[in-house]
Amino acid sequence: MSPTLTYDVLVLGAGVAGLTAATCLAQRGARVCVLAKGVGSTHLAPGTIDVLGRDPELVREPADALPGFIAARPEHPYALVGVDAIAPALEWFSDCVEQGPQPGYRYTGGLDRNHLLPTALGALRPSALVPETMAGGDADDGTPVCAVGVRVLKDFHASLCAANLELGGLRARAVDVHLDVGRAEANALGLARRFDEPTFRAAFAARLVPLLRNDERVALPAILGLRDPHGAWAELEKRVGRPVFEVPTLPPSVPGIRVYDLLRAALRAAGGRLVIGAQAGSAEREGDRVTAVRAHTSGHETIYRTRWVVLATGGFDSGAIELGSDWQARETILDLPLRGMPVPGEPRFVADYFAHQPMARVGVAVDSSLLAAGTSNVYVAGAALPGAEPWREGSGEGIALASGHRAAQSVLEHEGAVSAA
Amino acid sequence: MLTTDVLVIGGGATGAGVAWDAALRGLDVVLVDRSDLATGTSGRFHGLVHSGGRYAVKDPDAAKECAHENAIIRRVAGDAIEDTGGLFVTTPFDDPSYADRFADGCRATGVSCEEIEPGVALKQEPRLNPAISRVFRVPDGSIDVWQLVWALAHGAQDRGVRILPYHEVVAIHREGDEVRGARLRNARTGEHLDVEARLTVSASGAWAGQIAQLAGIEGVHVMPGRGIMIAMSHRLLDTVVNRCQMPTDGDIIVPIHTVCVIGTTDVHTDDPDDHTVLQEEVDAMLEDGERLVPGFKRARALRVWTGVRPLFEDRKEGVASTRDVTRAHALLDHVERDGVTGFLTITGGKLTTYRLMAEETVDAVCRQLGEPRRCTTATERLPGSEDGHYYHVGDRLARREDALLDDQLICECELITRRRLEDAIRRQGTADLDDIRRALRLGMGPCQGGFCIYRATGILHGVDGLDATSANTALLNFLAERWKGVFPILYGDQLRQARFDEWIFQGVLDVEHLPSAG
Repeated sequence: MSPTLTYDVLVLGAGVAGLTAATCLAQRGARVCVLAKGVGSTHLAPGTIDVLGRDPELVREPADALPGFIAARPEHPYALVGVDAIAPALEWFSDCVEQGPQPGYRYTGGLDRNHLLPTALGALRPSALVPETMAGGDADDGTPVCAVGVRVLKDFHASLCAANLELGGLRARAVDVHLDVGRAEANALGLARRFDEPTFRAAFAARLVPLLRNDERVALPAILGLRDPHGAWAELEKRVGRPVFEVPTLPPSVPGIRVYDLLRAALRAAGGRLVIGAQAGSAEREGDRVTAVRAHTSGHETIYRTRWVVLATGGFDSGAIELGSDWQARETILDLPLRGMPVPGEPRFVADYFAHQPMARVGVAVDSSLLAAGTSNVYVAGAALPGAEPWREGSGEGIALASGHRAAQSVLEHEGAVSAA
Repeated sequence: MLTTDVLVIGGGATGAGVAWDAALRGLDVVLVDRSDLATGTSGRFHGLVHSGGRYAVKDPDAAKECAHENAIIRRVAGDAIEDTGGLFVTTPFDDPSYADRFADGCRATGVSCEEIEPGVALKQEPRLNPAISRVFRVPDGSIDVWQLVWALAHGAQDRGVRILPYHEVVAIHREGDEVRGARLRNARTGEHLDVEARLTVSASGAWAGQIAQLAGIEGVHVMPGRGIMIAMSHRLLDTVVNRCQMPTDGDIIVPIHTVCVIGTTDVHTDDPDDHTVLQEEVDAMLEDGERLVPGFKRARALRVWTGVRPLFEDRKEGVASTRDVTRAHALLDHVERDGVTGFLTITGGKLTTYRLMAEETVDAVCRQLGEPRRCTTATERLPGSEDGHYYHVGDRLARREDALLDDQLICECELITRRRLEDAIRRQGTADLDDIRRALRLGMGPCQGGFCIYRATGILHGVDGLDATSANTALLNFLAERWKGVFPILYGDQLRQARFDEWIFQGVLDVEHLPSAG
């Protein structure tokens, strides 16, 4: 007989959406457990909170653009949660950052104006709410940029980044810092761990200073530490005497891992539980309610009983929705009905890489409270929702935060009704 | 204006083979291709080195030829060949009486063939369909065609051959009944270049009819037979496996480097540049894979592509087919056929017999030039193959281990180091990441360039000071080309991988919004 644990709410998935929903619920007193196969998309994403960046032209002021964007897309997650749900979700996130485990670390910005931040290629990405360690890269600032490459890090090429910034109209140049880490390569995560060491910060600054000129800001790959990024960043700015900003690298993403760390800390502080490495298997149902999920963790099965489920497992990217070689798509954990699949005979994908791909908007069918079709106690949040194209829209984290909030709220409304009764 | 003895049109295995053969015989050669080397039929097949088994029943002469050439190219081009061995297996879907005919055919044609117990084959290849009833072992192998063609090209270059990729023939210079060279257009700069040659060899395969027409020669009809191939992630099999039946669609799986390739189909088309992939073909191919390897459809399909077989048919009026019609390749002596001197066409054939085709062609060149010179390609080893060893799938890992601490790994899937990449960029003198892909297998593994292509673009930009616009173009072209081979087969875990790659390129890097010059 497998051990059985009982919770008020079971959240499936530990990305931004799942951790947000779980933390909000735990903060309101619910007994919550997050089950996840692995860590979520945080470790891949740049760590910025993108709300609306393109429509399809560049969006400078998301607050102004959102009502029109939503009006044109009644099935978009933003249309379901409502435009007013977005700002509170961002504020909640900022609070989590400030109370988080990285002392002094904070995010800046909001819905009024998108930052335009350099990518590792030197393109400019619009983001609403960004880590303070990245904000100095905003292209609206005319200060020349010195992009600093670290030779051992192959996932950030400063010269190409600088050349494209120049092509885009900024003044930019590139230099390379040579670091001896005992071998020819180190990834962003390894270097970030080194940046948590004060002696390494000092040594890095000492190598960097002689390469800099007077009036420039310094673009570094995003490696300024995991435990104390604010401290590392502030110290480096002081030592080099110039503004310093981070540029996201290829995964693993250091700023993204900071997001995971701080949301996980918020969940635990609120009394929630997180189980990583749990492969959800079969679900138990009573009528249209999912009453339990059986999950496998390190070789044994546990039955998680619950009154509510929040499904935040992602879409095709995470494997939560799967397209078979028979071209049938299914949601793999609860087998929930999907929406947005191209009808037979229509193409699933088209030959132009940059064109709209018909499969891109597939997700779990939900009603306006994010309740999954055919169920009465499963809410859906994040990339599992249909109707959005997060990268093209620059909307991934905005959707995750707002829908995570909304899913939590929907549960709480019912819980309230149940308690009252 | 360039002047040479021999102008070779077409940089596939045959053309590169002709250039190498002619160079070894002391001739001066210019080799041209409208694109990079080995991007036509040669670069678009499954990579099989024929034992001859596939032709043992259907085409005994071709089988003999393959058996003979197989032994030679294993000797001279070992660095490009993996000695996988091959199996012919009778599955429940095959006519059981074919097996005996197959064994007889192999005996009659000199194809080395040994019947083994199915249990032995299943021990060697545990993923094979357990219901196979008869199994024959043959000396099939797999070949990295770009490795082969670039070895031929580098060997030829070392002997003075000038190689001009990305030079398209726009006119053949003909005076009366004499062909005297060609006009080329540089595909990158648009500039024209004339080549004056004592002899012009069209080794343009499926495009031979088009080149012959430029020379004013009629009736060279090449019917392109289009076939699809799908590369599957990882080696589901370590041995080439053929179904023991009359050769048909989807009946062979070839392990090559880190992947295995299933092929192929055969659809007639009028245009050798037709790269259509039909959904029905993909579906049928996956079903065929399932018959050989149960569970095949659940494996990751990495990429699909099409190649065209050059099936030659002489349609010149009054030309009786005096040549042996079963021969798979055709050497057209236009003196004999059309009264035109200075021009030869070599077409048809298959990769395994490229050397023989080259030998026959250069023999004919020497006859026309009146300078008999002996062919030495059957014994002269290609650059890189001097030690006579075959390529082994662990070789790259061994090299990587040697350089673990002092070189960066740029492509984790195919174990390509920074130094190797920089060397290739300099040696090929190219700013095209697809050229580098073919030369090194950059981005050909499971992640299809998700990580390495940003890095490679950065390195390309750094080497020789390539400007940002050209580097961006290289990146965007690579992504667009890759997508063409990926989108028809996106399902299962490879769809997940593709979404992850898009996340990196369109999300983290925002390639869609790169600045452009001006």
